Amino acid sequence: MTLVEAQTLAAEWMPQLLVAAGYTMKMAAAAYIIGAVAGLFLALARRSERRVVSIPALVYIEFVRATPTLTQIFLIYFSLALVGIVLPAFEAAVIALGLHYAAYMAETYRAGIEAIHRGQHEAAQAIGMTRGETMRYIILPQSWRIILPPMGNSAISLLKDTSVASLISAPELMLRAHDLTSEYYMPMELYLTVGAMYLVMTYPLSLLVRRLERMAAKDHKAAGN
Amino acid sequence: MTAADWPAWITHLPHFLDALLTGAVITVIVTVGGFIGSVVLGILFGAFSTSQSLLLRAVAHIYVEIFRGLPLLTVLFIIFFGLATIGIRLDPISAAITGFSINGGAYLSEVFRAGIQSIHKGQSEAALSVGMTRMMAFRYIILPQSIRVVLPPLANFAIGLLKDTSLASAVAAPEMMFNAGRLVSETFFATEIYLLVAALYLCMSLPLSLATRLLERRMARAHAQ
Repeated sequence: MTLVEAQTLAAEWMPQLLVAAGYTMKMAAAAYIIGAVAGLFLALARRSERRVVSIPALVYIEFVRATPTLTQIFLIYFSLALVGIVLPAFEAAVIALGLHYAAYMAETYRAGIEAIHRGQHEAAQAIGMTRGETMRYIILPQSWRIILPPMGNSAISLLKDTSVASLISAPELMLRAHDLTSEYYMPMELYLTVGAMYLVMTYPLSLLVRRLERMAAKDHKAAGN
Repeated sequence: MTAADWPAWITHLPHFLDALLTGAVITVIVTVGGFIGSVVLGILFGAFSTSQSLLLRAVAHIYVEIFRGLPLLTVLFIIFFGLATIGIRLDPISAAITGFSINGGAYLSEVFRAGIQSIHKGQSEAALSVGMTRMMAFRYIILPQSIRVVLPPLANFAIGLLKDTSLASAVAAPEMMFNAGRLVSETFFATEIYLLVAALYLCMSLPLSLATRLLERRMARAHAQ
């Protein structure tokens, strides 16, 4: 491949790949929001004293964490179609990835909540706060520093996992690379390019996570632990 | 109730189970192969990243940064489709094992680095002072002691890997998800088949995760003493 050929190819591929990378980021962001919100509710349900609430949450978390993302994506995509809900592959992937990450994020929240000393709960309740108020005003504001680094790691994994959505033909970066491969038959060049694009997206996030980790470690020390 | 009254998919069940369990054998082979490869690369690059040579540390750093930021699917496609165009043709199972090893090695090298660094410096100084070479000190003194630290994350990695092998279906490795896809296109019982697949993954990963939890508790107790 001469330099001119490479330039021509890049000019043909890049606009398409960049649009597809936009879809990848949109998919990751939407799934992240679903995961972060549903995960919080799951974590609170898991910690509930009522067993009708805590046991289903526990079963959901364990089931999701014990089965592959790909199986869950296929299950949701094909099953919804069978019960008459025909979702486009992109939306199905967002829901499947969101529900998948909710289980992992629930465990992150739970670890953060449980890291706060019991005395904090007891003190809040002693001054007459309800359990909800204690959570909202006392526990969550303190645990977010513990929660943030793993939440950042989830964002990185989620961004990479969106590639799996290409297997149900959801429009995103890997699918576009796959389509271009069947057009040009240059898998090496295309997948390396796409790999570099994923790195460009994940690397800033991983730098951010490292900063968050350092901040959390400093707080931990400052708190005298 | 006669056989004719049963839901149609039940009559297919023996056929489903036969195909899925045949796939499960390949799933286990890919998991074990990928695990061994990841551990070997993890120890190698973990040792590099704690070495005194700046070059080796840089090599380890670049390897980790690149492969932790790339989606597994992209790595698999580069190895299976990309390498084929430059004359390196791997069968799907070898390609999958190679991909999982390279990817897992990057993750495990961080685990092993932490394990190696958790061993007190005095240990390697003592080993050197009794006349061991640096290699011997690493092999006989440092590594055996760091196993205790790395065992729980190693077990968690194995569980993650087991689920990730489902991605090998995308390069046509005849593992469980691949066979499931074939069954679905033959019979259209998507929900039933993917639920069955999820249950089979659950059967494989739950014992592993229970064992991991037991191991973690025992380690924590041993640490406390």
